[in-house]
Amino acid sequence: MSEQTTKNTFQDKVKKVAEEFGLPRLIITGFLVLLLVISPFVGADLPTQISNIINRFSWNGILVLAMVPMVHSGCGLNFGLPLGIISGLLGATLSIELGFTGPVSFFMAALLATPFALVFGSVYGWLLNKIKGGEMMIATYVGFSSVSLMCMMWLLLPYHSPNMVWGMAGKGLRTTISLEGYYTQALAKILQINIGNLSIPTGALLFFALLAFLMWAFLHTKTGTAMTAVGSNPEFARSAGINVNKIRLISVVMSTWLAAIGILVYEQGFGFIQLYMAPFYMALPAVSAILIGGASVNKASIMNVIIGTILFQGIVTMTPTVMNNMIHLDMSEVIRIIVSNGMILYALTRKTEGAK
Amino acid sequence: MSNKNIGDYLRRFSVPIMFVIICAVCAPISGLSPSYLANEIVTRMGRNAFLILSLLIPIMAGMGLNFSMTLGAMAGEIGLILVCDWQIVGIPGMVLAMIISIPISALLGLFCGKVLNMAKGREMITSYIISFFINGIYQLVVLYLMGPVIPIKHSTIKLPRGYGVRNTVSLLSMRQKLDNLIPLSIAGVKIPVATFIIVFILCLVIIWFRKTKLGQDMRAVGQDMEVAKDAGIDVERTRIISMVLSTVFAGIGMIIYLQNMGNIATYSSHSQIGMFCIAALLVGGASVDKASIGNVFLGIILFHTMFIVAPKAGTVITGDSMIGEYFRVFVSYAVITVALIMYETNKRKNKSRASAQLALEQEEEVNG
Amino acid sequence: MDKSKKKSLIYRIAALIILILIAVAMFIIGRGHTVYFDNKALEYGEKSVDEVPYKIDVLVNGEKVASLKAGERGMVSTMGQNFNMQLLVTKEKDGKTSKVQVGLPLPYSMDGIILNLPGMLAGLPQDAYLEEFIPTPSAEELEDEEVVTDETEGLMDFGE
Repeated sequence: MSEQTTKNTFQDKVKKVAEEFGLPRLIITGFLVLLLVISPFVGADLPTQISNIINRFSWNGILVLAMVPMVHSGCGLNFGLPLGIISGLLGATLSIELGFTGPVSFFMAALLATPFALVFGSVYGWLLNKIKGGEMMIATYVGFSSVSLMCMMWLLLPYHSPNMVWGMAGKGLRTTISLEGYYTQALAKILQINIGNLSIPTGALLFFALLAFLMWAFLHTKTGTAMTAVGSNPEFARSAGINVNKIRLISVVMSTWLAAIGILVYEQGFGFIQLYMAPFYMALPAVSAILIGGASVNKASIMNVIIGTILFQGIVTMTPTVMNNMIHLDMSEVIRIIVSNGMILYALTRKTEGAK
Repeated sequence: MSNKNIGDYLRRFSVPIMFVIICAVCAPISGLSPSYLANEIVTRMGRNAFLILSLLIPIMAGMGLNFSMTLGAMAGEIGLILVCDWQIVGIPGMVLAMIISIPISALLGLFCGKVLNMAKGREMITSYIISFFINGIYQLVVLYLMGPVIPIKHSTIKLPRGYGVRNTVSLLSMRQKLDNLIPLSIAGVKIPVATFIIVFILCLVIIWFRKTKLGQDMRAVGQDMEVAKDAGIDVERTRIISMVLSTVFAGIGMIIYLQNMGNIATYSSHSQIGMFCIAALLVGGASVDKASIGNVFLGIILFHTMFIVAPKAGTVITGDSMIGEYFRVFVSYAVITVALIMYETNKRKNKSRASAQLALEQEEEVNG
Repeated sequence: MDKSKKKSLIYRIAALIILILIAVAMFIIGRGHTVYFDNKALEYGEKSVDEVPYKIDVLVNGEKVASLKAGERGMVSTMGQNFNMQLLVTKEKDGKTSKVQVGLPLPYSMDGIILNLPGMLAGLPQDAYLEEFIPTPSAEELEDEEVVTDETEGLMDFGE
């Protein structure tokens, strides 16, 4: 093994990098570059497009970052992301219900979401420890079950704030709640840069950078390296005296909490809270984004998150405008479905990862 | 020993028992008459049985719940859309739609089987993602290719913009033609005799198939792939065949389902179908690695009773019709979740038991 | 070994041919038409039919599908190319009813077919009394509809 690595020439290394990067990723990158190149020619404004991508990145980055801990600890891709999102939604609605306004409501939402995320994450992590090997399928269904349970709860919980409940009935939360007057653009507005059509939500990007840095730092602490060890070889980790179950539990809780914070950041950018079915639609884009960025079922880095989110959001925002301007045919939705699910499929079928 | 057996039975039938309780509580509250309920359940039995039976073969081959049965459903829908446009009506229309769906289903099943062979050990999540992936392809075909590439004449099917199929396609010309082919009514309950005959034939085919060489091979593969390989069975091929069969049956089942419904929701019928067929099968007491024909029918009765009475009961209790709707969706997902968890924990238990056995044997060998 | 392979190949080809044959048969017997009946006057050169019976009842397979006073139109959906119907013609009010058995082949290419019954009864050639029905799309049909396609559609709404 060690002999082989020393023998590697530079050429081999390049080849290996290309191989690791993978053909699908190359195609997607090429596609995005193509879109960017042709967009000025078909009449789309490039600065607007780019600030769209940057904005979308700032909304979604943390949701994608939430994938990292569970991938590291060998729990696979977190298809149960909706559970964390629900914690975030509970925090958001409670913060508004308790009467907080302005940017403070964002801080309070994050604070209030945390205990929910910790509790839900612990239960979820405990469950995933019981069913090692089948995490991804069960995670999917934990997500579904929790979303449908919460659908009932949004109707039944005693919320009263007139900005959130149905006007007629006076109870039951609305499907979309406007954040105007609450924390819309709370992060984005901080140090925002505007040059012509180009606008950069510096605050939101910095917040993402902060969390990404903390994640990176965590992965280099003792617990973090133990997490990686558990993910790459649980047997070895166990014999090295690591409490595998505890490490996995920590990773799940982290992932759930990041999802909760991630959805709050998404909302501050988007300007609305989306309840009921909305969390359903969040897991698959995040999963495919990190995979497009070069992660696999059991390996993911911060770099994968950044590259993946830019590529995924780039394609999502660019295809509709470019295609509409070019051939007056909006196939972007279909392309998105095929690309994102194709990517997940590709990652699931790669033999080198080894089925657990 | 017998005590443990009772416990095992209770665990195995815990989901059906839970459902009996839910139904028993909700049915009187809902205020629906027994004759209405009986009618609905018989109709739904005819409508869904064929689809759910198509799930049995992959379970036999150890590939778990076939979430990609939606692939077959899409093939069936494409067949029906084309037949509708050609104005072939009634039973001949259905037969023609089935014949068109078979090659499409077989091709999709082949693709699915090949992909699943590359993802051994995580078949279910992979087949689940395949269903999304192929849904994208289906949309590409139905939304953009139908019209300019695949000719569609009628404006009742095609969108006014010239390409793509409408959100709903009416199947009025073949609506319940199969169900009413042999009219029979017992005590006010309408019985779709012809549909039941077809379902019965499929049951016989499945029973017969289990006894054939291929069926035996499939069960061997389902038990243990390594052992089957050593016994000279072509594991990959057997698994692919099981997927192809399942997909083809699902396509035919979808056509039977839609002739009863009377219209196609072009962009959502298939994704609905996957979820509640699997939920119904699990409610009938099946597990991820073991399912019988009995489970199918028990599952339809229990699951659909819940499906009918829950929204009504929810409306009566809370005064909000949506609560019951969400409740039944929640229960469906919870059932699948619980079944998956039980399957995985059992698998782990068996594995650790087997390894403990192995360790014990080795120890004995060393000592002896 | 080779023999069995050959045999299975033959079986497969035979199955394929049978399926194709069934499909062709379905194309022929399953073609649906909508037949419209007019009890109206018909202009056809010299042989125009001006006199319209008071009432015509149309029976298909022994079932009454239309009862047409003068100037009215009825319809029935049929399957296959051979169309048989029974006409009960009442010339005048409270007059005698005569029974006429009519059978005719329907052209495959037409979805909707209009039959002018008085013209048919007068013994005019087929191109006189048979006409293609071309539906004018309703305003509702011409309206563009938003196609709802979401991959997760149907995961929360299970339909009926």
